[in-house]
Amino acid sequence: MDPYPSSSSLIAQKTWELENNIITVDTPPASTNSAADASSDSIFYYDETAQAKFQQDRPWVNDPHYFRRVKISALALLKMVVHARSGGTIEVMGLMQGKTDGDAIIVMDAFALPVEGTETRVNAQADAYEYMVDYSQTNKQAGRLENVVGWYHSHPGYGCWLSGIDVSTQMLNQQFQEPFLAVVIDPTRTVSAGKVEIGAFRTYPEGYKPPDDPVSEYQTIPLNKIEDFGVHCKQYYALDITYFKSSLDCHLLDLLWNKYWVNTLSSSPLLGNADYVAGQISDLAEKLEQAENQLAHSRFGPLVAPPQRKKEEESQLAKITRDSAKITVEQVHGLMSQVIKDILFNSIRQSSRPRTEGSGPEPMVES
Amino acid sequence: MSSSSSSGLTFKLHPLVIVNISDHYTRVKSQMNPPVTSTATTSSSSTTTNNSNGSGDGGVTAVSAAAPPPRVYGCVIGVQRGRIVEIFNSFELLYDPVTHSLDRAFLEKKQELYKKVFPHFYILGWYSTGSDAEEFDMHIHKALMDINESPVYVLLNPLINPAQKDLPVTIYESELHVIDGIPQLIFVRSSYTIETVEAERISVDHVAHLKPSDGGSAATQLAAHLTSIHSAIKMLNSRIRVLHHYLVAMQKGEIPCENSLLRQVSSLLRRLPAIESEKFQDDFLMEYNDTLLITYLAMFTNCSSTMNELVDKFNTAYDRHSRRGGRTAFI
Repeated sequence: MDPYPSSSSLIAQKTWELENNIITVDTPPASTNSAADASSDSIFYYDETAQAKFQQDRPWVNDPHYFRRVKISALALLKMVVHARSGGTIEVMGLMQGKTDGDAIIVMDAFALPVEGTETRVNAQADAYEYMVDYSQTNKQAGRLENVVGWYHSHPGYGCWLSGIDVSTQMLNQQFQEPFLAVVIDPTRTVSAGKVEIGAFRTYPEGYKPPDDPVSEYQTIPLNKIEDFGVHCKQYYALDITYFKSSLDCHLLDLLWNKYWVNTLSSSPLLGNADYVAGQISDLAEKLEQAENQLAHSRFGPLVAPPQRKKEEESQLAKITRDSAKITVEQVHGLMSQVIKDILFNSIRQSSRPRTEGSGPEPMVES
Repeated sequence: MSSSSSSGLTFKLHPLVIVNISDHYTRVKSQMNPPVTSTATTSSSSTTTNNSNGSGDGGVTAVSAAAPPPRVYGCVIGVQRGRIVEIFNSFELLYDPVTHSLDRAFLEKKQELYKKVFPHFYILGWYSTGSDAEEFDMHIHKALMDINESPVYVLLNPLINPAQKDLPVTIYESELHVIDGIPQLIFVRSSYTIETVEAERISVDHVAHLKPSDGGSAATQLAAHLTSIHSAIKMLNSRIRVLHHYLVAMQKGEIPCENSLLRQVSSLLRRLPAIESEKFQDDFLMEYNDTLLITYLAMFTNCSSTMNELVDKFNTAYDRHSRRGGRTAFI
């Protein structure tokens, strides 16, 4: 680190903060989250009158792109991810409660719905509605005053985007239950990649043409879903997600680390994700075959007409290369953990036995 | 009231419960003490509005001086398998501190709702916030005894103490002790471990350290991954150093020898190396080779893609010069 503070290091820090969505608490002495004080808990206060006024004003009616940001609380994220993961390979869904704040939607809490996710279901069934009403009632009694502000569901293993059914559901929601947000979580990819795979979306109203093509982060979509993705991907846009936590949460999570480091060290992503990775590789193989057929056709293409290919679109092969690189990186990370653990715990030998591997770091405990 | 439990049950607590309780408490606290904002006019506007900057804290405490942080109550649910009690989730309860009564109907309603979504979980006990277990807690405890014959009591201390090293969560069980000839139920402390599933661990990690959420470059991903492992190893190292230090002091005679501790340390040492068998080595190397194979395949794909692009570019360049038809493209 720079011994003397210079502008370059400050710029570097700002860039890093920007890249990593570090939320500075919105009190004027902008403190980073590690030093969140009690005033940052103001986000937890539910101002009934302000919310009612916002509902009346409805500034989103004129601007389809009105909401740009989402703030998710630590609790909501944890609940959603755990629920999504508990579904295994079945899609699960639930609702989110929260409020709005200017152009941001704030998600304070989430709860699961007892609905079986199938591809053909457009709306939750009647008993899910009953559940929703009951749950909201009991919540209001227990002191959670926020309203339902969105829904979330999981796409186990195939990425964070809205399918055709999701798009129509969300469009319906945005007509009648504004403000409403759609969140998609992929628990399988979360566990495989080691970071949370989540996306927040809002649809454009029917017939609206977005002014510019939004640049979204590339993610690999399995072959059997890619058509569904492509048809609808222009009908919605993604919102930026940031997270927040209360000061007590900060404190508790810091202390939790004292007990948690065991789990970090003992996690073995390679074992847990074996079947997911196998699925990814076979999907990649299919895509490769498809790309090969495409290329074989275009062998004679140059004779007839120059291949019609937009400059921005990458060729199939380039996408496949990116996907394979991603899979490899995850695997290598997993292997690194395994090797590190092996060195830590296995390279210690009893003094009677000869040391076979002389290299590697010193074992932490002397034999 | 705080001797250690002798029931032999092991408790596993999930981080979700802790975050749940903390959120419940923060919510109730902030609803009771509205924050000082530039538009809100609360009674604490007597503190000059100029320093509403840093006095957001001051304003809250001024108001909260009138209302001490409330106690919140709720139920914890989970699974009990044999001797292991695993607490997965929790929800709020309505408790009237005046009459010291639980709202029964509310409890049943909530239980029903949660049963629909998590059919395997059942009520294991209840939670509250505060610094120590109190007299009236026994009433709630007894009230829950008809649902679960030996409920647990999870107590979270919401006061933020920066010097604290340990999680301010204690788990109490109730035991029948004979005091002064009268059998009474008292609370006894139990130890617990933090248990987690991989997805929970990742999201807790994510929120706790605010890791980069977007893809980032491969370098940042690698850095993030290695940093987390590094910090975990650092913790392990510091713990071992403490033990080592203690043992050296014992050897020098500064601290009286404690045989049970020595036995534990010796059994710990005997567990290393963790696994050492032929089969493990084979499996390990096989996994290693699989990963190397995947890397090899990825390299291949990369190379063939680059080659393909090269050929395409060559074709395009070459085609421009061929004015006459009939010439096949160079493949």
